[in-house]
Amino acid sequence: MTVLAEGTGTFLQPDPDAHRRYIRDNKEKGLVSKVMSEAEAVKRFVDDGDYVAYDCNLWVRGPAALMREIVRQKKRELWIAAKFTAHDATMLVAAGCVNRIDVGWMEVGRVITEAQAAGDVQLFEWSNGAMTYRLLAGSLGVPFLPLRYLGGTDVFKTGTKLIEDPYTGNPINVVPALNPDVALVHVNQCDEYGNARIFGAGLQPVETAMAAKKVIISTEEIVSTDEIRKDPQKTRIPYYAVDAVVHVPFGGYPGTVPGLYKAHLEHLMESGAAQMQGKMDEYLDKWVHSVSSNEEMLEKHVGQEKLAVLKAEETIKEGYYE
Amino acid sequence: MTETRTFTDMEQIICTSARLMHADKLYFTAIGGPPLVAVLLAKTLHAPNLAYVVEDGTIAPQVQLPAPMFLIEASGGSYRAASWTDMNTVGFHAGLGYLDYGILAAVQVDEYGNFNSTFVGPAYERPERRFGGPGGANEIASLCWRTILMTRQQGRKFVKKLDFMSSPGFLDGSAGARERAGLPADTGPWRVVTEMAVFDFDEESHRIRLMGLAPWATVDDVVAEMEFEPLVASTLENIEVPGEEELAVLRAQVDPSGRTVRGRWITVELDGESARLVEQEAPAEGA
Repeated sequence: MTVLAEGTGTFLQPDPDAHRRYIRDNKEKGLVSKVMSEAEAVKRFVDDGDYVAYDCNLWVRGPAALMREIVRQKKRELWIAAKFTAHDATMLVAAGCVNRIDVGWMEVGRVITEAQAAGDVQLFEWSNGAMTYRLLAGSLGVPFLPLRYLGGTDVFKTGTKLIEDPYTGNPINVVPALNPDVALVHVNQCDEYGNARIFGAGLQPVETAMAAKKVIISTEEIVSTDEIRKDPQKTRIPYYAVDAVVHVPFGGYPGTVPGLYKAHLEHLMESGAAQMQGKMDEYLDKWVHSVSSNEEMLEKHVGQEKLAVLKAEETIKEGYYE
Repeated sequence: MTETRTFTDMEQIICTSARLMHADKLYFTAIGGPPLVAVLLAKTLHAPNLAYVVEDGTIAPQVQLPAPMFLIEASGGSYRAASWTDMNTVGFHAGLGYLDYGILAAVQVDEYGNFNSTFVGPAYERPERRFGGPGGANEIASLCWRTILMTRQQGRKFVKKLDFMSSPGFLDGSAGARERAGLPADTGPWRVVTEMAVFDFDEESHRIRLMGLAPWATVDDVVAEMEFEPLVASTLENIEVPGEEELAVLRAQVDPSGRTVRGRWITVELDGESARLVEQEAPAEGA
């Protein structure tokens, strides 16, 4: 196969056989409860230096509680897939957790700009679709997939190759599969084994989970396995892919979980202001380090009354819970 | 009989773009900002059945106005869709050729319609100003049959050389350049819409060509706000200023918060098809 052009940047190298061996040797295939606290899940399944991919973001059904736990446990030198990312990357960089970011789209302000200038974080440019497609390749167990974009642009230079299509003879781009060390996915419902339901349009929860070595699911609600088995079509991620099930109501806070609660705009304004004013340390102290869990954070800094309002204001239920 | 009308540069860009949209086509639009507002304006005013997809996998929603906030109001943005899928699925649909038009905003555009939404400054590692990144723009601009780009008419936006090419136009402009780069055949940028002008692309050279002009602006006004000389069509279409109904719907229904339509104010005196510039605000820093 002729390589016509290739990017020479840095990317996580695909190794499908190593991934298969990891799955063979490490995944729990039995029906075993995986319910644990966010502290235990992150302690057991996120290691310094890991490549972390997550579905959605801090504004929409993202694994916000798990990200805060990563900050709380001071994980270091993580490499993240920032596709369709809000200020998630900002929070993780401000906390010193992340030093490499594959970019699709992310909210960028002074935290990332200054960290990049100081050499504390490296950015590698892809696109939302390309990152999602790399995860698809990872979830299929193949080393790469062809795609018909990225070519000709500066984004190509990171890790895409232009080859001669062995079937048509035309030029075609290929991108490397992405098999993250860890996937974080926040879901609507999940049973104790990890059978997970996700409601609404949504980025790549399935690809992200299936491509990863270790999978942490945070869930708004734990449902019985009996309920799962009565409506199996709704299961998007099967239990054997899942290593930890963390029950975290409002685990997407301050973002919205569509159909369940609204985003907390005052909080988002507070985090935005903290970045503008160079006060991310204070923000992280308040929202992460001064508390030991999501539950305590909600109790101390948000309050049941406000949470009830955020739930009541999310009036659209159609398609999610109706 | 003269009439005075005041609108923002972004209102003109949105109204002009909305007029280019039709109910019998499928649109792949950026998930927020001017592209989505233009689509919603077209749906409200003249094409209620116009269908669009966004990169979170929402297909053909019927959102309630005002336009839901970018990402944060996700249930509003995907309300009453024909289907809720995911990012890969809508990408497949674009790859299959279902999506006629991509609607996107750009930070910098060059003379072949390539564009930048990543950073401006001397080097990737040392940006003067960093933006969100390509997002879904690279795939939209590659896979949709045609792309409509929305941007302000400013010299720093129409540049000889992009600081970074996030997304493809006609690349180096040579025949078959996109195909040689592995992109689908017969695709590419179609219109670039600014507050003063509409551009298309010369079929042979693929260079950007001025083809429409606001009645209050001249060709010189447009060229003065570009780093390079565009081709100019032999006859220029007249771009109507935003109409009273368009502005009323845009301001009162689609974007009553003014979040997206805000910009520099332009006041013109209308006399039939012609219009005279009364005054315009200077561009805001960073706009």
